Amino acid sequence: MNSVELTVNKRVVQKAVEPRTSLADMMRDTLDLTGTHLGCEHGVCGACTILVDGVPTRSCITYAVACDGADVTTIEGLDDDEIAGELRAAFTREHALQCGYCTPGMLVSARDLVKRLPDADEKKIRIGMSGNLCRCTGYVGIVRAVQSVIAERRARDIAPEPDGGRKVLGPAGAGHNVCVSAQKSAVAKSATRDATEVIAPLEIPDFTPSTTLDQQFTVAHPSATVFALFDDIAAVASCLPGATLVGTPRPERVEGAIRVKIGPISANFNGAARVERDEANLSGRILGVGNDQRSRSTTQGEIRYRLVPLDDGASTQVELTIGYSLTGMLAQVGRSGLVRDLAARLVAEFAGNLDRRLSGDATSAPPAAADLNGVSLILGLLRERATRFVRRFAGRGGSA
Amino acid sequence: MKPAPFAYERPRDIASALAVMASTDGVVKIMAGGQSLGPMLNLRLVAPDTIVDITGLAELKHVEVTGDELVIGACVTHADIEDGRIPDVTRGAMQRVASAIAYRAVRNRGTVGGSLSHADPSADWVSTFAALGATLSLRSAKGARRVAMKDFMLGALESVLQPREMLEAVRVPVMSASARWGYVKSCRKTGEFAHAIGAVLIDPEAGKARVVIGAVEAAPIIVESAEELFGGRITSDFGTKFDARVADNLLSKAGMSDAADRHIHVTVLRRAVAEAAA
Repeated sequence: MNSVELTVNKRVVQKAVEPRTSLADMMRDTLDLTGTHLGCEHGVCGACTILVDGVPTRSCITYAVACDGADVTTIEGLDDDEIAGELRAAFTREHALQCGYCTPGMLVSARDLVKRLPDADEKKIRIGMSGNLCRCTGYVGIVRAVQSVIAERRARDIAPEPDGGRKVLGPAGAGHNVCVSAQKSAVAKSATRDATEVIAPLEIPDFTPSTTLDQQFTVAHPSATVFALFDDIAAVASCLPGATLVGTPRPERVEGAIRVKIGPISANFNGAARVERDEANLSGRILGVGNDQRSRSTTQGEIRYRLVPLDDGASTQVELTIGYSLTGMLAQVGRSGLVRDLAARLVAEFAGNLDRRLSGDATSAPPAAADLNGVSLILGLLRERATRFVRRFAGRGGSA
Repeated sequence: MKPAPFAYERPRDIASALAVMASTDGVVKIMAGGQSLGPMLNLRLVAPDTIVDITGLAELKHVEVTGDELVIGACVTHADIEDGRIPDVTRGAMQRVASAIAYRAVRNRGTVGGSLSHADPSADWVSTFAALGATLSLRSAKGARRVAMKDFMLGALESVLQPREMLEAVRVPVMSASARWGYVKSCRKTGEFAHAIGAVLIDPEAGKARVVIGAVEAAPIIVESAEELFGGRITSDFGTKFDARVADNLLSKAGMSDAADRHIHVTVLRRAVAEAAA
């Protein structure tokens, strides 16, 4: 727990909060200021918008500890505010709310627009309010309400403040209690989190992949040699960046893990696979299922391969079809473009490793994927950005 | 939707921030506004052991014009640029870009350095600073180095930033009086991450053009000498010389196989060129 001091609605408060406590949770759970609403909790819907150092911020993605010493105003603190009063009257008049869930955030954002916009331009108001979602009104009433307040105030010769009153540089809320440094807080977590007993799934079911990608590459070795290598499960796994095996692999059951990394996001899929081979057609299939405990996501994947002899058998074209399905938390950030990019990079790496392996260069076994910057992993699973959530949620909201 | 527990450090200056990062075990993440990191923490896509909050460091909010470049501290916010709280050497180009990033509440905390370090291919500054020819100052306990923005991005969320290294400042060259700027992005919803970005800096008097095709789900496509996109030569009528086929080829070569995706990017780039020519 860290001690955080804030001025909330003109009252100084000091509370002990965890570093992970958002400003919104501190307002609601610690100070009972439940007028601050939480919608998406990742900065998209705007319901949690409150004033920090006088300007709107997202209190769901701003941590209380990072605002130590700041001045905070929630909707409760705007009761006697002149602009907020005018906006409340206008919202009532224009039917700018129905259920009211978005209204606290709407009023905070609208108040900021009223201060900053030079005139009641509808387009600018719509753009300015686009970070606050309302599922009831269709926005027409909200826009009219904001327009009317701006128009009335400008008619009363109240000049706009283009900077919304902010005069200093840097993130709102930051830089007050600078000298409170090195707030060591003993967090006992990773030990328990990482040591969780990992159990590979028992079943390796057949499935229809939701996404498939085709890749191919050529290695300068005869098909028989390549086919033999594909039979050596440990060798194949060692060519696959991020893959590790547990126990003795058998064709009907291989247990292991694959670590996938993109930027700061990483996942460790523990699972099992089975291997099928068709000697007559120099083809085969690796079918697997895995779980990432931390994100509670599950993936199923298959790699189908087919070897085509080239150059009178001197080299081999390896044709891969990679298919996967993903469920759970990580599935919500799936996007095919990045996955394809990942798969291409993965396969390039896989091909290079395979080629080196076939050339007898067993010493150049690839390092663990965790050490490979930019090497993301197989089946494309991850390779995603949390920020895409934003788009997805917004998109879904738009079609709701 | 609550982050996994993390330890929190708020150092007093850059030196102690670097020392904290060097001496702390486990995964350390810098937070410089947290408008990208916050959602990832809440969704538990990222679960660092320690967060180092650099938003209080005065050194990172320092801005100055030295010689022919503007040096912007990493913790300057999008709103600081939008509102003109820092000097401008780009004749309003940065101000216009800043004003269209996400939403005002995000711009009030989101920083230039945080956005670049996050290395989202769809982020506005990633394409903008590449087109403006900016350079980044990076610092770690081992020392300082400079990297051109065009060499910074390696892929989606991947940059040349090393573990325990931080972005200290962005150095933006003064835009020449004859240079023309165009910046267009395609978003289906206002404020969301762009699906396509076109950024162009064209100087017909110098016969030079730099073109960036961004939001390609990987490092942006940067054409440092973009004569080929304008029929081989940059002239004052470059607006009528834009060759969409060359742009389409660039995208194909970069691996964008979907014709509709290429069409969107080419169209956005054409609009950016038109804006520069207007």
